[in-house]
Amino acid sequence: MDATAAADKGEAALKLLEYADPSHFLSPSADLVTAARAASQHIYSSLVPLSPAQPPSTLLTDPAFDAEQIWSQIELLARPLLPHLRRQLRRLEQQPPSQPQATLPLPVEKPADSEEEEEEDGQGSELDELKELEETDDEEELSDDEEDEEEEEEELDQRAHKGLEDQFLKIGEMAEFLDKGDEEEYGGGANRGEEKKATKNWMAESDDEGDEDRDEEGDEDLEDFEDDDEDGEGEDGGGIMYKDFFEKSHNRPAKKRDGSTKKVQFKEDTHTMELDGSENDDGNVEEEQGLSTHEKEQLKARAKIEQMEKAALESSAWTMQGEVTASSRPINSALEVDLDFEHNVRPAPVITEEVTASLEDMIKKRIAEGHFDDVEKPSLLPSKAPKEHKELDESKSKKGLAELYEDDYAQKAGIAPAPLAISDELKQQANTLFKRICLKLDALSHFHFAPKPVIEDMSVQANVPALAMEEIAPVAVSDAAMLAPEEVFEGKGDVKEEGELTQAERKRRRANKKRRYAASHKERPAKLQKD
Amino acid sequence: MEVDHAAGPGAVEKPRFDALTPSEMSGGRPQFRKVPVPPHRFSPLKRCWMEIYTPVYEHMKVDIRMNIKARRVELKTRQDTPDVSNLQKCADFVHAFMLGFDIADAVALLRLDDLYVDSFEIKDVKTLRGEHLSRAIGRLSGKGGKTKYAIENSTRTRIVIADTKIHILGSFVNIKVARDSLCSLILGSPAGKVYSKLRAVSARLAERY
Repeated sequence: MDATAAADKGEAALKLLEYADPSHFLSPSADLVTAARAASQHIYSSLVPLSPAQPPSTLLTDPAFDAEQIWSQIELLARPLLPHLRRQLRRLEQQPPSQPQATLPLPVEKPADSEEEEEEDGQGSELDELKELEETDDEEELSDDEEDEEEEEEELDQRAHKGLEDQFLKIGEMAEFLDKGDEEEYGGGANRGEEKKATKNWMAESDDEGDEDRDEEGDEDLEDFEDDDEDGEGEDGGGIMYKDFFEKSHNRPAKKRDGSTKKVQFKEDTHTMELDGSENDDGNVEEEQGLSTHEKEQLKARAKIEQMEKAALESSAWTMQGEVTASSRPINSALEVDLDFEHNVRPAPVITEEVTASLEDMIKKRIAEGHFDDVEKPSLLPSKAPKEHKELDESKSKKGLAELYEDDYAQKAGIAPAPLAISDELKQQANTLFKRICLKLDALSHFHFAPKPVIEDMSVQANVPALAMEEIAPVAVSDAAMLAPEEVFEGKGDVKEEGELTQAERKRRRANKKRRYAASHKERPAKLQKD
Repeated sequence: MEVDHAAGPGAVEKPRFDALTPSEMSGGRPQFRKVPVPPHRFSPLKRCWMEIYTPVYEHMKVDIRMNIKARRVELKTRQDTPDVSNLQKCADFVHAFMLGFDIADAVALLRLDDLYVDSFEIKDVKTLRGEHLSRAIGRLSGKGGKTKYAIENSTRTRIVIADTKIHILGSFVNIKVARDSLCSLILGSPAGKVYSKLRAVSARLAERY
């Protein structure tokens, strides 16, 4: 009776949780907490008889217990169950998934677990295993309610879609058709992924301690999608053929069909397609040949080698051909390629505003300074005295020819003085100018100017080479004095200024002065007295 | 005439003769020179007659007269003409004046022996006609006669350019230099070139003296 009461309680709690508004779960509420604990307790007790090991019969869900503690209890129950479930799964793998939505608790878990198995086979990472464990825990916790929920979901859906349906369109048939298509494309994995996603979401909502789980579930979702994509890629973009769409082949398994069509369609790529097919087979659960990792890698390598051989046999692009003339490459192809060659010429300077401004500034500065770069003629040093050019007199000569000869004769005879030449005239002018200046200067000194006496001194000129006579000026002159300051200083002791003296010191000074004066004056009267 | 009665038995004494006077040289008869006067020199002659007359009559002791009807200047030796060449010199002097030279320049002929008058024509140098001739004359004299004066001053000559005739008065060497310059000017060389040559030559000439 206790058990039934507890079961009822648990059911009630579950129902409460189910019908609770999702937004209520965002904020902590005491009702939801108690309901969750009751529900988990109910599920735990229902699962206890199924486990081979003997876990504690009841789940302790006192308010004092932490979420971690409850969780660890659940795990204690769930961990031994796993191998048992795996064995069950292997048995069930023999049968095709005829009904994806099974009502039994174990079969329900099967698709999700098979998915996990896939992951294990495909990748085998530790992380995945941990996640698997967590997933199974989640699922086991709420396995009973899953079926209820799903059934309820279906009913809800049907109720909603009744408006849309008519004699031609059946929502259920459409859903079946879509599932079929997904199966064909993704090898049945997508459907499971969707289902799993749905269950997971539901689980996320119901859990109060949801943060960690949510994160983990999110990662798990991504992982599922990765797996699905891999399956898809393995088929070379789907590999959907005409036959797949328009020929009804219910009996054939999904993967095998793809492999066979590929063989027919592409003669050249049969080898690769076979590999792909085999790859797909590997990826798929229902396959007959089990290729080992090494064999798979070998296949991949072979495919790559084929590709590389094909590329090597082909003629390479013109850019890789070495010396290429214009005739052996397409028109204007050199423009598209980024050619690299040495430029021996400095690139032309880009004329910007700043450049012109700088040039103009320089020009202005140079003009202001008067510093030009004109070629200046080198000034010739006068090697010899400038020739006196006789200026040709272009006016009519004042003297007649007879007079000219007369003067000539007179000069020769010595009667008349030599006539002054033009250069002498200039000298005469200079002489007269200088005389005038001298006269004025002499007037300044009242004509008493005494010239410097000419001192004829006899100095012994040593017959020493001229270089030795040159003044040897000191290159560096030190301005440090020969005497130190204390040697220069005359006086004794501390020298104080007038303003610095104290009264006593002033008095002392005056007293000293008086004494000296008295001493000096004492002598005088004594002298006078003597006299 | 003295006959030396030498003691020797048959020695004949050389006769000693005095120099012949110019009048005696010509047999006691006077000599004449006639210098025609061109019409353009008639009035200058009338103006400068005394300047011609004085040195000729006074210093050279040659008679001079103007035959107006015949348009001639006539010269005659006197008894006391000191030298035979005086007459010729006077004739040259008057002739020079007739050519166009100034009295001051022509008088040099009277004073110095080795002055001559050289005349030539432009066509002797180069055949020029019309404008070329005019241009050549212009080149010779220069602007305001400066080229001519430059040549005169540098070579100590006197030049008279009478249309196409050119007369040069001076010593032989100077005449040569002047003539060369004038010929180069006639032939077309620019004045500057002639000047540079003149400068060089005149410097050489001056050094010589």
